[in-house]
Amino acid sequence: MPRPEVMERIPVDDEYFLFRSCVASSKYPGMESATKEVFERIGVGLTESDDQTCCAGFITFTSVAEVTATMPAVARNLSIPDAAGLNTITMCNGCYTFLTEFGHFLQQNPPILGKVNEMLGMVGREYTGESQVLHMIDVLPKLKDRIAEQVVKPLKGLRLATHYGCHYLYGFKKDAIDDPFMPTVVEELIEVAGATPVDYPEARTCCGSGLTQVVIHKEELALPHMKKKFDSLKEAEVDGIIVVCPYCLTILDRGQAKMVDRGITDYDVPVLYVTQLLGLAMGIDPVRLGFGANVTSAKRLLEKVEKLGGANA
Amino acid sequence: MSKTEARKLRPELYPKLRDLTFGFVRDLEKCMQCGKCVGACPAAALTTYNPRRMIHNIKAGNLEEVIESEELWSCFFCSTCYASCPRDINFPFTVAMLRYASIYAGYGVEYVKKIIPYAQDYYRRGLTVLQPEKNPLVIGRRRANSGTSGQMADIREQMGMPRERKISAEALAEVQFISDVSGMTKLMKDMLKRRDAGPKSRDRIEKVETVKSREGKFAGFPKEQENA
Repeated sequence: MPRPEVMERIPVDDEYFLFRSCVASSKYPGMESATKEVFERIGVGLTESDDQTCCAGFITFTSVAEVTATMPAVARNLSIPDAAGLNTITMCNGCYTFLTEFGHFLQQNPPILGKVNEMLGMVGREYTGESQVLHMIDVLPKLKDRIAEQVVKPLKGLRLATHYGCHYLYGFKKDAIDDPFMPTVVEELIEVAGATPVDYPEARTCCGSGLTQVVIHKEELALPHMKKKFDSLKEAEVDGIIVVCPYCLTILDRGQAKMVDRGITDYDVPVLYVTQLLGLAMGIDPVRLGFGANVTSAKRLLEKVEKLGGANA
Repeated sequence: MSKTEARKLRPELYPKLRDLTFGFVRDLEKCMQCGKCVGACPAAALTTYNPRRMIHNIKAGNLEEVIESEELWSCFFCSTCYASCPRDINFPFTVAMLRYASIYAGYGVEYVKKIIPYAQDYYRRGLTVLQPEKNPLVIGRRRANSGTSGQMADIREQMGMPRERKISAEALAEVQFISDVSGMTKLMKDMLKRRDAGPKSRDRIEKVETVKSREGKFAGFPKEQENA
């Protein structure tokens, strides 16, 4: 259940700043285009900026770029929505964590904030912290009614599991929209799309990647962990997995292909970002939603959706 | 007992760490060694990684043991330990900062050497993850799924997006300026040097205190930061 006290804090604006994720832009661009299509339909504006760079969270948490460099990078990126007077929506758990944690740290440490702004001042920017950093699944539940109005193709009979990813719910156990161990906020969105949310025993298990599966951790360790998750998913007989983070999407999507290539399993469960799911229910062209960028095949899922026909509500 | 009082009991616990970790390592004195973190941890299920023991070691003053250990590099950063911690210790943050301490002390580069190119990409292009894809299996599957060449630029175009995400020239210049004056560029070069010297290299990396830049002077960050 979404927490009422957090729901209350989430602002519903006519326009937000969409913080682009580099994993989404470079590997799964459908996340971006689906988000824009969905927001256009529900009448909420999204502003983007070519001045926004990567949040730098990945290189900070993998220990190759010091906080002294990435904290000003956070402040620099947030100075853009600050100047535009917009709140920020992140599509990625990593961007959310990094912008929020470092934003809080700066606000609580005025001497460091001063230094960061001194640095930004040299390039003509200022970080005020006025732009509130929100996660995509902070905002979507607030717009649920408007989303429901736009659903022209309820995804009846589609069985969908969720994977929330670690860095939003676990990392923000007090400030996140839902309980870290028993979340339902995405399940509710699945219901809005007309599909059936399916629970599975390993739902809250991490994908096993961390940030660094392919680099630091050995495959012999990470793949069996991932297999455990997918075995449990397979038993639940799902048509797809809904994620709220591009990194989860990457790992779950490519991890399955990796397990197939290693001869461990033959799983091919499509992984969808939450706005891609909503886009399907809104009858948006699947090509525009970007399933072609996936390594797993969305073909069977799309065929099922196709059979549903349009406007069967 | 308030946080501050607890800290006074072990005045030697934080100062050593604070310089290295910028005040991000904190709250460890609250740990009551219950072990919920270990029970919830996926890395602990797969390896000898043990957050409870690491906290115990830090509190006992065995900082070196933690910083030198291979275990320090086993964390997945999933934050399940934080979510289950009854004392709200954000241990993944601690691990991230301890890893920097480890690198500065002359360890760890062998674990992250493959990630250094991502930092270089961030510096050169403003993005950590770039479009080009090397894995032929990924390209092949994308080709089958999209009906395009399987290259990202073509998939983006098919979806009605620009072939490449643009980062403005100004943004790039700003990112590079920030990297230069804050010490990131130097850290990157030092890590590459250490990587090329091989795994036995134990050269310590000097932290940047004051840097002059092309466009002006930046006096550096406050050296010691009280924990918030």
